[in-house]
Amino acid sequence: MGIQTPAPAPSLEPALEEQDAETGRTHRHRRRRVRPTTWAGLAFVAPLVAYLAVFYAYPLYENVSMSLHRYTRATFVTGQAPFVGFDIYREVLASPQFWPTVRQTATFVIVSLVFQYAIGLGLAVFFHRGFRLSGLLRALFLVPWLLPIIVSATTWQWMMDADNGILNRFLGVFGVDPIWWLNNEHSLWAVTIANIWLGIPFNLVILYSGLQNIPTDLYEAASLDGAGAWRQFRTITFPLLRPVTAITLLLGFVYTLKVVDIVWIMTMGTGTSQTLATWAYSMAFGKGASALIQYSQASVVGTILLLVALLMGFVYLFVQRRQED
Amino acid sequence: MITTRSNHRLTVFAGVAAGAALVTSLAACSSGSGGGSSDDKTGAKITTINVWDPYPQYDDSSDWAKYLQSCAPEGTTLKRTTAATADLLNNLTTAVKEDNAPDVVMLDNPAVPEAASAGLVAPAEDVGIDTSGFDANLAGPGTVSGTTYGVPIGANTLGLYYNADILKKAGVDPASITSWDALNAALEKVTKAGDKGITFAGISGEEGVFQFLPWFWGAGANLKEPGSAQATEAGQLVSDWIGKGYAPKSAISDNQSASWDLFLTGKYAFAENGSWFAQAASTQKKFKAVMMPIPGKDGGSAPVPTGGEFVLAPTHKSNAAGHYAAAKQVIECLVGKDNQVKTADKLGYFAANKDQRQKQIDSDAIWKPWAAAIESAQGRTTDLGSAYTPTSAALSTALQSSLNAAGDADAVKQAFSAISAG
Repeated sequence: MGIQTPAPAPSLEPALEEQDAETGRTHRHRRRRVRPTTWAGLAFVAPLVAYLAVFYAYPLYENVSMSLHRYTRATFVTGQAPFVGFDIYREVLASPQFWPTVRQTATFVIVSLVFQYAIGLGLAVFFHRGFRLSGLLRALFLVPWLLPIIVSATTWQWMMDADNGILNRFLGVFGVDPIWWLNNEHSLWAVTIANIWLGIPFNLVILYSGLQNIPTDLYEAASLDGAGAWRQFRTITFPLLRPVTAITLLLGFVYTLKVVDIVWIMTMGTGTSQTLATWAYSMAFGKGASALIQYSQASVVGTILLLVALLMGFVYLFVQRRQED
Repeated sequence: MITTRSNHRLTVFAGVAAGAALVTSLAACSSGSGGGSSDDKTGAKITTINVWDPYPQYDDSSDWAKYLQSCAPEGTTLKRTTAATADLLNNLTTAVKEDNAPDVVMLDNPAVPEAASAGLVAPAEDVGIDTSGFDANLAGPGTVSGTTYGVPIGANTLGLYYNADILKKAGVDPASITSWDALNAALEKVTKAGDKGITFAGISGEEGVFQFLPWFWGAGANLKEPGSAQATEAGQLVSDWIGKGYAPKSAISDNQSASWDLFLTGKYAFAENGSWFAQAASTQKKFKAVMMPIPGKDGGSAPVPTGGEFVLAPTHKSNAAGHYAAAKQVIECLVGKDNQVKTADKLGYFAANKDQRQKQIDSDAIWKPWAAAIESAQGRTTDLGSAYTPTSAALSTALQSSLNAAGDADAVKQAFSAISAG
């Protein structure tokens, strides 16, 4: 058995294929029997299609439409939102905040992913050996995942307080001058550290289950051939984990790209901690760094985020196909 | 998989039923909002009056909630919905779009011009609200381009609380603090004596700007020129407090409740905060908290901004007359002459009518030191109307940069000159 990628296969799919096969067969022989099954098929698909249309296609369409029309607060009452084409896209791209925000988002996402993955993988390999209490310890590592983000983000905010935070006290023991973690200059690093901590359990869980799918006889054979622990990791564990790695990184990328809550609670996206997602949020609701409500600009940023996430989806599909070949 | 005939039929039926159920429920969704009130002209009587307020700190068993309930006219029930100040205007925007806005809304006063120019609230004349008798400085934000939309439910403002015990220990005479220099000297003395200086809310957004305005105006700056040299001086003042360690670094993200909590620890000598905490200041027994007017740069007290909500009737498309009639009754109950003090007391506010306020001040001594401040307080939107919102946003950005600069004069200058450039 190979390694199973957690492909999101909808349970409806096999049923549909069967239905198609059936209708195909009945179609040739008895024309009258076709209709009920076809209708039934359509009716079974209808909830899904309606669901997708109402909850995915329509909001997406509205988002893109909003980015092409100039929406103001009055638009909601008068309904007047003049079509301006790509004007707002040009404005957002030309805004002095845009490129710094893109750089900060890239730093936030890449640094978060690298550390989450590396630490997650290290812990997964560590726990895979299965020792006494390893189950309990593994469970403890899931705590960041289980805590409500409002709790963990507020706790991080307290710990990183410049005057009384425990983090600065701790660093002070080693003679490090207190750092103003949450000011404009350092806030990107503050939220990245908190986000890495938050993402480790996710990586740990998925990579750990990936490890369990690697047959143990491979390791036995390798150790008979004289391969050490590091060699085993490099030539067995890491290559065989590649599909799991791909999905972990893709999901992690999308999660991190769109994260608002932890950043918002810690810094309200002020200073360098502003990412595309928090920028879009602050413009859409007129909060934080953008007290002015800017619906259209927010949907421009939202659309850009969507395109980036979509692009990553294609990269994933491409990587997956290459692995299957 | 083999299916028997009857089983198969059942599956077909189940599928169709599921599809039909979904379609009907979606249809029900889209037609739901229109039902109930179809008469446009006659003004059908509203039996459930919806009221939105921005006081989530008061739950349904609180005095405020019970008091509000008592304003429901006979034969109607009053349904109160509460949301954070920062959310209420956004919620109202979508509600008006769907034509299911509440009958009465209480909006923070700087949000009124924006709501009015977006057409979210109805003119007071259409609703029949009596707008006479309110102090001009307090009622100002309710009038936009000559049309009055609503009236203040009460008013509050900012003052400088001090911890009398700490000042005594450090040998500072509070009466001497009449200018920025005197305040800075006092801050230096108390921090040298081992205590902490001052707490204020520098949080990004309107709340931080509200707290910044006394210094901004006290320096002689004007909202029409938010990037002026005087404005920069005010930015430098608060920036230095962070830089010299007089104020906590968390001021960049503290809101007014958080900075009040810091003051209540008893470790800080001063706190810039609102009159709504006057009661709390006098009832806590940890230390002696006293209020003084916020000093202006060169002496005298600084102009302070008016705070507090306006009570308004949101726009309705269907059965507007019915909704406005209901709104009028509730608003009259809340801010009618005889009830102003009662309403204001429930919220810890001042009555917005001078005579009524005098009665309130006479009956409770804790309001005395505030009397002059509230009378000279300025509306934030008086100069700019709905253009206040973008100006406030720019000021907030400059303030954040200044606080982050921790005293660096070049950075503060740059932050404020960026306003005039943009």
